[in-house]
Amino acid sequence: MILSTNYLSKALVLILLGFLFFSTLANAKEIKTETPPSGDTRFRIAVFPVENLSGTVAPLKEIRQALIEMLSKRGFQVLGEENLEKFMVKHRIRYVGGLDSGTARAFKEEMGIEGVLITSLEFYSETDPPKVALTSRLISTGEAPSILWIDGIGLAGDDSPGILGVGLIEDPKALLEKAMKSVTDSLIRTLLTRRDEGKGRGAKRKFRPKVVYRSPELEPERKYVVAVLPFFNRSERKYAGEILVLHFIRQLRRFNNFDVIEPGILRQELLGLRVIMEDGVSLANADAIFSILDADVIVSGKVIDYQDYQGLWGKPKVDFSTVLIERKSREVVWGSNSYNEGDDGVFFFDRGRVNTAYAMTSQMVRWIGAWVAKER
Amino acid sequence: MLVYASVILLTACATTSDTYIDPNMDFGAIKTVAVMPFASLTRDPVIAERVRDVFINKLLSTGAVYALPTGEVARGVSRAEIQNPTAPSGEEGIKLGGIIKVQAIITGVVREYGEVRSGTTSANIISLSLQMIETQTGKIVWTASSTKGGISLWDRLFGGGGQPMNKITEKAVNDLINKLFK
Repeated sequence: MILSTNYLSKALVLILLGFLFFSTLANAKEIKTETPPSGDTRFRIAVFPVENLSGTVAPLKEIRQALIEMLSKRGFQVLGEENLEKFMVKHRIRYVGGLDSGTARAFKEEMGIEGVLITSLEFYSETDPPKVALTSRLISTGEAPSILWIDGIGLAGDDSPGILGVGLIEDPKALLEKAMKSVTDSLIRTLLTRRDEGKGRGAKRKFRPKVVYRSPELEPERKYVVAVLPFFNRSERKYAGEILVLHFIRQLRRFNNFDVIEPGILRQELLGLRVIMEDGVSLANADAIFSILDADVIVSGKVIDYQDYQGLWGKPKVDFSTVLIERKSREVVWGSNSYNEGDDGVFFFDRGRVNTAYAMTSQMVRWIGAWVAKER
Repeated sequence: MLVYASVILLTACATTSDTYIDPNMDFGAIKTVAVMPFASLTRDPVIAERVRDVFINKLLSTGAVYALPTGEVARGVSRAEIQNPTAPSGEEGIKLGGIIKVQAIITGVVREYGEVRSGTTSANIISLSLQMIETQTGKIVWTASSTKGGISLWDRLFGGGGQPMNKITEKAVNDLINKLFK
C-alpha cells in the first residue's frame, strides 16, 4: 500500500512537471510567433497603386487601402494619398511596377520617403474556391535604389480543406486579407530583424528543371549582380513574362550569391538604350546592359505556358525556359527547361496538389536559383 | 530458285537509316553552332520554339558544342537578311556563319506534335527532323529524324493516353543528339 502510494505520488509529480514544462514551451512558442513589431518602426514609405498583372478586374484600390492600414497600424509612416498623387503628377509617373533612379532620388529629396512599396497582383479569382496571388517589394529611395525586401504568396481557398472541409475559405475577402497579412508580416519581420527571409522550406524535387545546362564558368562562391529581363511571353496568359521576372527576383534574393537589380531601373535603361529584343538577348544587347548597369549576369527566358484555373476543377500548368548570360565569358552559362502541372506526383486524396501557378512557379524557380548557386 | 531465295534473304538483311552523315566531314572541328528557328508543320507555332529550346539546352549539356543564344542568332539572321530562317540556303548559311562566327548551323522541322487517335485510343506523339549545314561550304553534313510516342500495343489494350508530351519531346531530342554524336 505504501509502495503504491509512493508510486502514485511520483506519477503525479511527473505529470505536473510535464504539464509545467509543456505549458512553458507553448508560451515560448506563442511569444516567438506573436512578437508584435514595436511601434517605433518610423519608416517613411510610399505605397504605389497596385500593379494589376492578373489580366482581370480586381479590387486594386481596396487592396492598396488595406495594405496602407495594416502598415500604419504596425508603425509605418505612410505618405498620404493626396501628396502621393501630387508627386506622381509632378513627375509624370505612370508605370507603377517599378522604381527608376530619378523617381527614387526625388522621393528621398522632396518627400523624405525612405522606401516605396510596390505590389503586383498576379492572380485574382472570386469563383469558389477563391484564389489570389500577389508579390510585394520594398525599394529604397535616394541615389542607389535597391530592393530591401520582396515576398509574395499564392493562396487558394481549398489549399487546406482539413477534416470535413473546416479549413475551406469561401470568402474572397478573407483569403485576400490572409494573403496581405502574410506579406505585411514578412515585411515587418525583415525590417525589424534586418534579416532576409532565408531560403525557406526546400522546394519539392518534382519541381526541379527537367533539362539543365550549367557551365563550369559559374563560380559558386562568387556574388553576381543579376539583371532579370522580362521573359518572352508565348503563353496565352497576359503578363506571364513580367510575372516570371518577379518570381526570379524573389527567389534569387534568397541566395547570398545574387544581388538583383531593381526591374524599374532596368526598364528605364532598356528604354534609354532603345533595346528591341526579337527572339532573345543578343550579345550586343547584353554588352550594353552589362556596361550600363554593371551587371554580371543577365537572366532571360521564354514562357510557353502559364495557366491558372478558376473554380473547383482544373490544375495549374507552367512551362518556361531560362537562360543566363555571363558578362566575362559572353556566353550562356545556364540553360534550363522547367514544366510542371499542379497534380504532378499526386496519387492519393490530392495530397501534394498545388492549386495556384504562383505556388508552383515559386518552387520551380527556387530550384533554378539553388542549382545556379550550386546548392544541390 | 536458289537465286531468288538468296535475293530475298539479302534484301531482308538490308537496313534503312534515317540518318545521313557526310563521311568527309570532321565533326570535331565544330565548336560553336547556331540553332535556327524550327519550322512547325503543326497547328501551333509555339511548339517549334519549345522544341528548339529543349534541343539547345540538351545540346549545351553534352558539353561537346556550344550553341549561341537565340537572340544572337536572330541578330545574325537579321544582318544576313535571311528571308526564311527556318530553311536557309547554302549561301545564306555561309553568310550567317561569317557574321555570328559559327562553324555550323542546325535547322529543324517539327512534323508532328500532339495527340494522335486511333479508334478509341489516343496517345501523344512527336516527329522531328534536323539537319546541319557547315558554314564554310554551305553543304548539308548531317541529317536525322526521330519519332517518339504514338499508340503502343499497351495503349490499345489498356488505354492510358501514352506518355506526357514533355517526356517524349526529351526522348526525341536525346535520340537525335545520340545520332549526331554517334
